[in-house]
Amino acid sequence: MSDEIWVFAEQQEGKVRKVTFELLTAGAEFSKKTNQAVGAILLGSGLQETAKSLTSFADKIYLMDDPSLASYTSEAYLINMAPLIKEHQPSVLLGGATSTGKDLFPRLAMHLQTGYAPDCTGLAVEENGRLIANRPIYGGKVFAEMVFSEARPQMATVRNNTFLTNQNLNKSAQVIPISSKTDSSSLKMKVLGLEKAAGMKLDITEAEIVVAAGRGIKAPENFKMLEDLADVLNASVGTTRATVDEGWRDQKDQIGKSGKNISTKLYMAFGISGAIHHILGIGTCKTVVAVDTDPNALIFNYADYGIVGDLFKIIPALSEELKKALKE
Amino acid sequence: MDIYVLVKQVPDPEAIIKVKSDSELEIENKYFTNFFDEIAIEAGLKLKEKFGGKVTVLTVDNKKADALRRGIAMGADDAIQITDPALEGSDQLATAKALAAYLKDKPFDLIFAGRQAMDDDAGIVGPAVAELLGIPHVNTIIGLEMEDPKKEAKVIREVEGGKEILSCFLPALFTCQKGLNHPRIPQVMNVMKAMKAQIKKLDLATLGLSAADAGGQAAKIKVRKYLPPPKRPPVRMIKEDFPENLKILVKLLKEEAKVI
Repeated sequence: MSDEIWVFAEQQEGKVRKVTFELLTAGAEFSKKTNQAVGAILLGSGLQETAKSLTSFADKIYLMDDPSLASYTSEAYLINMAPLIKEHQPSVLLGGATSTGKDLFPRLAMHLQTGYAPDCTGLAVEENGRLIANRPIYGGKVFAEMVFSEARPQMATVRNNTFLTNQNLNKSAQVIPISSKTDSSSLKMKVLGLEKAAGMKLDITEAEIVVAAGRGIKAPENFKMLEDLADVLNASVGTTRATVDEGWRDQKDQIGKSGKNISTKLYMAFGISGAIHHILGIGTCKTVVAVDTDPNALIFNYADYGIVGDLFKIIPALSEELKKALKE
Repeated sequence: MDIYVLVKQVPDPEAIIKVKSDSELEIENKYFTNFFDEIAIEAGLKLKEKFGGKVTVLTVDNKKADALRRGIAMGADDAIQITDPALEGSDQLATAKALAAYLKDKPFDLIFAGRQAMDDDAGIVGPAVAELLGIPHVNTIIGLEMEDPKKEAKVIREVEGGKEILSCFLPALFTCQKGLNHPRIPQVMNVMKAMKAQIKKLDLATLGLSAADAGGQAAKIKVRKYLPPPKRPPVRMIKEDFPENLKILVKLLKEEAKVI
């Protein structure tokens, strides 16, 4: 067994994603069992401060800091990561099930001729270093426990909020600078720009709390009261396929089979009847609250707490109630 | 333009799927062409309409070639099914090897695939095929612009917190996300024609592959056990009158669920 577990430390504009810390926490937990070191592999440009934010979470940081890596592309990242992985042969390589992780990992796995379990909602490591990956398939109607062949590393991407970050790992990573192997003239793709979404809210896949409404909210402007509720809870606002197809909400906020799967600590659904397409996207949320006028709405079968009632009355009143409660 | 689209027939989201044993699933016989693959087919057809050329749909499947017929009904010119008993139990990387073996000496300009198949929900095959062919790929595109069909494409990709705009030399592979287009509904006449269309079948040997290359034995990952989804405890309906019910809800979230 190799002596390291690696986590792909994903950053955007120098800020390390939350899921990276969650995976480093998981890696630290696994390493106690297997007696391995935890390495973070960090790529980008101008990352000295970014690397510092990781030092207490890992034993080693492999840092590739180069202007050619300023924006993520699978091409540039693969050229740089693959030789390093081949050289060090970590037993495990984890990444977030983010747009970047899901873009990079399958290609990297093919390049390295090794196994890859995507979009996992549970991971365990056995003492001999074997990774067991649990992942929803068929939209979450079934879970598959996956095991890997002898090829290494065992690769997996993991959903946000699968592990809880431990802020007190108290490690002090050694930063190992690695020089970039990118030859910019040979690259076939280039990032031209990022069009940022309005507002400062986290993506629904990253948020710990998501509040959502469907067509039951009747008009796009009525989402304002849901946004106010989200502000109270520091939550993000999700929605259903119907409102996206109507053009009321942006597709990036769509929960469900043709949208995004969320794994939040708390999910609150208002006026969402609970079509299977939607339910499949919330299967791994920890606590689900449903509010709907129809006592027979399917959503109640999937909720922990249910209230039969009018969302127009309940959302504003709940905002006030929560404001009071969170002050205490 | 020479355009290839990777497609798959998958259980409809409404289909009932149960765990029969550790190693076996019971899948209701309700299938449809993967939602994201129809978007991929539409992307190919749109480019063909603009620049001329040919769209070929391609699948790896031992049973259901219906996704190919859907592609033909929508307007694809040709359909190829890679099928071989040795493919049973193969993983996505092996599937990618079979597809790449077919594509490697074809004169493709663009390859489209869906964001992921709605059965294994993996999203591996597209990027893995691109890796094997040595061409760039971009995942989950929601926008595509092209002026010179032999040279370069501008694509928009969905990322957390926004949309990323990239330029990419061709040939390339793009996986398609909802929002890229609205797939056309084929006319009944075309559906009838597609039922009778010739589908070319190829096995691994024809592609120069052995079971050890792309079959179940080549799998780098396998299912050890299928499990039903974790059961949720029964719902607790809060039946008290408004606004008392909200006070109770907040208390439960705080003290019982401990999530706020």
